[in-house]
Amino acid sequence: MDEEPERAKRWEGGYERTWEVLKEDESGSLKATVEDILFQAKRKRVFEGHGQVRLGMMRHLFVIIDSSRSMEDQDLKPNRLTSTLKLMEFFVEEYFDQNPISQIGIITTKNKRAEKLTDLAGNPKKHLAALKKVVDSTCVGEPSLYNSLNCVALPSGTEIKEILVIFSSLTTCDPANIYELIKTLNALKIRVSVIGLSAEVRVCTILTRETGGSYNVILDESHFKELLMLHVKPPPASSSSECSLIRMGFPQHVIASMSDQDAKPSFSMSHLDSTGEPGLTLGGYYCPQCRAKYTELPVECKVCGLTLVSAPHLARSFHHLFPLEAFQETPLEEYEGERFCEACQGELKDKSVFTCLACKKVFCVECDLFIHDTLHCCPGCMQTDRTS
Amino acid sequence: MLELKRTLDAKGHGVLEMPSGTGKTISLLSLIVAYHKAYPLEVTKLVYCSRTVPEIEKVVEELRKLMDYYAKQTGAKNDFLALALSSRKNLCIHPEVSSLRFGKEVDGKCHSLTASYIRAQHHSNPSQPVCQFYEQFDAVGRQVPIPPGIYNLDDLKDFGRRKGWCPYFLSRYAILHANIVVYSYHYLLDPKIADLVSKELTKKSVVVFDEAHNIDNVCIDSMSVNITRRTLDRCQTNVETLQNTISRIKETDAAKLREYRRLVEGLKEANVARETDMYLSNPVLPDEILQEAVPGSIRTAEHFVGFIKHFLEYLKARLRIHHVVQESAPQFLKDIYEKVCIDRKPLRFCAERLRSLLRTLEIADIADFSAITLISHFATLVSTYSKGFTIIIEPFEDRTPTIANPVLHFSCMDPSIAIKPVFGRFQSVIITSGTLSPLDIYPRILDFRPVTTASFTMTLARTCLCPLIVGRGNDQVAMTSKFETREDFAVIRNYGNLLLEMSAIVPDGIVAFFTSYIYMENIVASWYEQGILENIQRNKLIFIETQDAAETSMALEKYQEACENGRGAILLSVARGKVSEGIDFVHHFGRAVIMFGVPYVYTQSRILKARLEYLRDQFQIRENYFLTFDAMRHVAQCVGRAIQGKTDYGLMIFADKRYARADKRGKLPRWIQEHLTDGSLNLTIDETVQLAKYFLRQMAQPFRQEDQLGLSLLTLEQLQSEDMLQKIAQIAQQA
Repeated sequence: MDEEPERAKRWEGGYERTWEVLKEDESGSLKATVEDILFQAKRKRVFEGHGQVRLGMMRHLFVIIDSSRSMEDQDLKPNRLTSTLKLMEFFVEEYFDQNPISQIGIITTKNKRAEKLTDLAGNPKKHLAALKKVVDSTCVGEPSLYNSLNCVALPSGTEIKEILVIFSSLTTCDPANIYELIKTLNALKIRVSVIGLSAEVRVCTILTRETGGSYNVILDESHFKELLMLHVKPPPASSSSECSLIRMGFPQHVIASMSDQDAKPSFSMSHLDSTGEPGLTLGGYYCPQCRAKYTELPVECKVCGLTLVSAPHLARSFHHLFPLEAFQETPLEEYEGERFCEACQGELKDKSVFTCLACKKVFCVECDLFIHDTLHCCPGCMQTDRTS
Repeated sequence: MLELKRTLDAKGHGVLEMPSGTGKTISLLSLIVAYHKAYPLEVTKLVYCSRTVPEIEKVVEELRKLMDYYAKQTGAKNDFLALALSSRKNLCIHPEVSSLRFGKEVDGKCHSLTASYIRAQHHSNPSQPVCQFYEQFDAVGRQVPIPPGIYNLDDLKDFGRRKGWCPYFLSRYAILHANIVVYSYHYLLDPKIADLVSKELTKKSVVVFDEAHNIDNVCIDSMSVNITRRTLDRCQTNVETLQNTISRIKETDAAKLREYRRLVEGLKEANVARETDMYLSNPVLPDEILQEAVPGSIRTAEHFVGFIKHFLEYLKARLRIHHVVQESAPQFLKDIYEKVCIDRKPLRFCAERLRSLLRTLEIADIADFSAITLISHFATLVSTYSKGFTIIIEPFEDRTPTIANPVLHFSCMDPSIAIKPVFGRFQSVIITSGTLSPLDIYPRILDFRPVTTASFTMTLARTCLCPLIVGRGNDQVAMTSKFETREDFAVIRNYGNLLLEMSAIVPDGIVAFFTSYIYMENIVASWYEQGILENIQRNKLIFIETQDAAETSMALEKYQEACENGRGAILLSVARGKVSEGIDFVHHFGRAVIMFGVPYVYTQSRILKARLEYLRDQFQIRENYFLTFDAMRHVAQCVGRAIQGKTDYGLMIFADKRYARADKRGKLPRWIQEHLTDGSLNLTIDETVQLAKYFLRQMAQPFRQEDQLGLSLLTLEQLQSEDMLQKIAQIAQQA
């Protein structure tokens, strides 16, 4: 137990007033409010604005994680850092699931310095491994917003379009005037969004306002997760950015059978910088341009710089462009018709039912969420499509 | 609005309390302007008095917006003339004079360029410098009225530059026919200035005192005189100069003195030609005195100087004492009559007489003669008022009981003396501020009968203020700045812990108020020893207000910079100090205000004791009641600094267990009280931290203007809808 001597005992931490959100109904029961809260929480994820906007599909996102002293605060369990990292792991997975041809990079800041944890890369594994490593590091000193933003903006300024800062501290230790940097960021058209873990800090408000990002402060852990998930969805592309054609390669996976005499195991190009994984493989993806070999997609070719993806990846990111219309919500009492959810065939018991506007099929809350968040297409409509 | 309308209808006075940032100024202005438009004969003029120059400018800008709106809606060109008036220092455009730094120097220099005899000399001798702006103004400016519009101080200067007229005299002249005048309330309350500037305002004016929570102190200050040995010494040299000048003039120009003797007989001079000379005029004299002729004993210059000399000697003798003396004005007069045979009557004319003497002697630089002017004012006041004043002579200051530094305080006990002419003259006087609670005390100490007294609260779409009373530390030791326990180690440590904890959870700026400079120094020193300061500095930078104005404004500037770029800062300051009055900590500049202790005034001061006694005898206000009232209004001022409008939010932390008592709590303004729940009356530090954290997170959630719609903001349709009107009527009924 001696590795964390400074961590306060559980009972020395703050009081929590979980009971304050609960209200009794007339009969003195808490059940109704609890259900209501849960229900509300579920619904929140279904986003409001489904307008026809252009979205930036190829995202280059840098996440800056504050790991200063204030991250040791225990208002998130077990402490802010662990909680944040756990959510970040989830975020990274979700991010690549939803934006398969995008890239992410992670930076931590503490002790007035910024440290690049992982560079921009399209492979979740590396990021996850790096995040796992950070958990054990200690949180010391103040963060530096300037240094970490500078770390992102300066070297490869052209590519990056988004920065997400997870900011726990209320102060930042900057070597120079941050407002100059904000101007540069603005000129580079980089969107900076901030998720604050404690309270609204002025400099973040300005930073996000100037660069067109969003600024949110968490209420509790679940709210934190929710806010983080908002960043999974690609942001609307700024109207000034012109449509550009991007060269992409769609390599075929070549599997050389063991029996084939010509096949020789070879190293993949991605092993140039990491040696952790098993080295020699037989098959792989070959860059259509230069024939370099990779074991995983999506990736940027190390030799010729071509973006290599597979067709399903592209198709998966397609749904952002044509999102499923939100279903119409009607209270259960007003709903007349079959009391069964079209998707799970379960009985409709919740307060509201959801009707697809296109095929008029009804769904329960759970299925509604599943359809919108994961499936991205209405099973009812699919059925009618096929039959017609 | 409704209350205000009632007040205007009844032609009476009103006391209104509205939280800052809720559109107090604009609603006052718009209603009065509308009233003026509807009944141009009932209300002819609006006199809006505010406290500081920036506040005055803010009011004028609001007015400009209102007028623009009028112009846009009605399409008619407005024929309003509204202007701001300030001292010469802020208005002068003379290249040499305006470069001077102190108000007094500017006044003196200006006077030396514009006095009527200087100008007369200029006629005969063109090398005598005069102010060309004033000359221009005098030549043409009086005939041509200033075109209607809204004039801020800078606009006046611009206008003056374009025309080559002196903006100061221009605006002084123009207030006579302006519809709206905005100036500092000294122009109306301080009798020495009021007589000059505001004498000719019509009776049908509406007078508004904004930020008037300290109005009684302003009144008292304007009527009180402090005389130290240095004043007397300087006065001595003044008298000698006077004497020399008189004898010199006597030798060279006996005719002039004779001519001036004639002038003395009919004291009331034609004031138009000499408008410029009359700028340090008499205290409020009853009118009949002005009608009388100056008594013979001081009619000639030599006699008068001799008289002043006597008086001076007497005062010197009085100051040469070793114990404290307190006496009333009649006692003093009796004593002076017995000792040096000075009668009451000539004393009364002292101020007036000195003024005319100075004028005749053509002494241009009046600034040098401030000492003797002070003495003459004192003489006049002491002989005019027998009630409401006390003379206290202290041989040394309380803080340094060994060093002899005798002071004669001639202090006014009754603020109503200075403000009485205002209430008497104008048909409606409205006193308003963010913090006027308890409302009933102001009419009592100012001695007037208001038609309406009302306290308004904010209608808020979210609870954007969070008052918390912290009574105990984590170790359950009571936190209080009570005299007996203020040196207690545990109390100081708990205060330190509170600040430390808050510095870790409150973003950007925190303002902390102490009860006095000495107390602050003690606490900060002991925090330093305990290492608390070091810990705080890890979270935020620390700035300290000092008694030095330049240092303080420097600290303020740096403090704002630190808040602005995200470093975060704490400003340690003092209730009743410069910071607590008049400096707003908008949004991120003040996310939390911490009040360490209850800022009672220094109760051992004799002036205060005398005043308390007077209040008890005259107005039946108990000492404790007044002290608490005074402390709480300063507290309200301090904590009110952080909330400036509905979109702002801030924590208010009262760190003293005494705040939980009903007599203290009850004196907070209603808009603070209604957010003070029973649950937040006696918190420990960690409970406070939890509540504050929760509050700050709630407040950080996005807040858009649409959220306020229907609650604290109304669209036009909503405003016209029937049930909303009913709702408003209901609220108005409750208020």
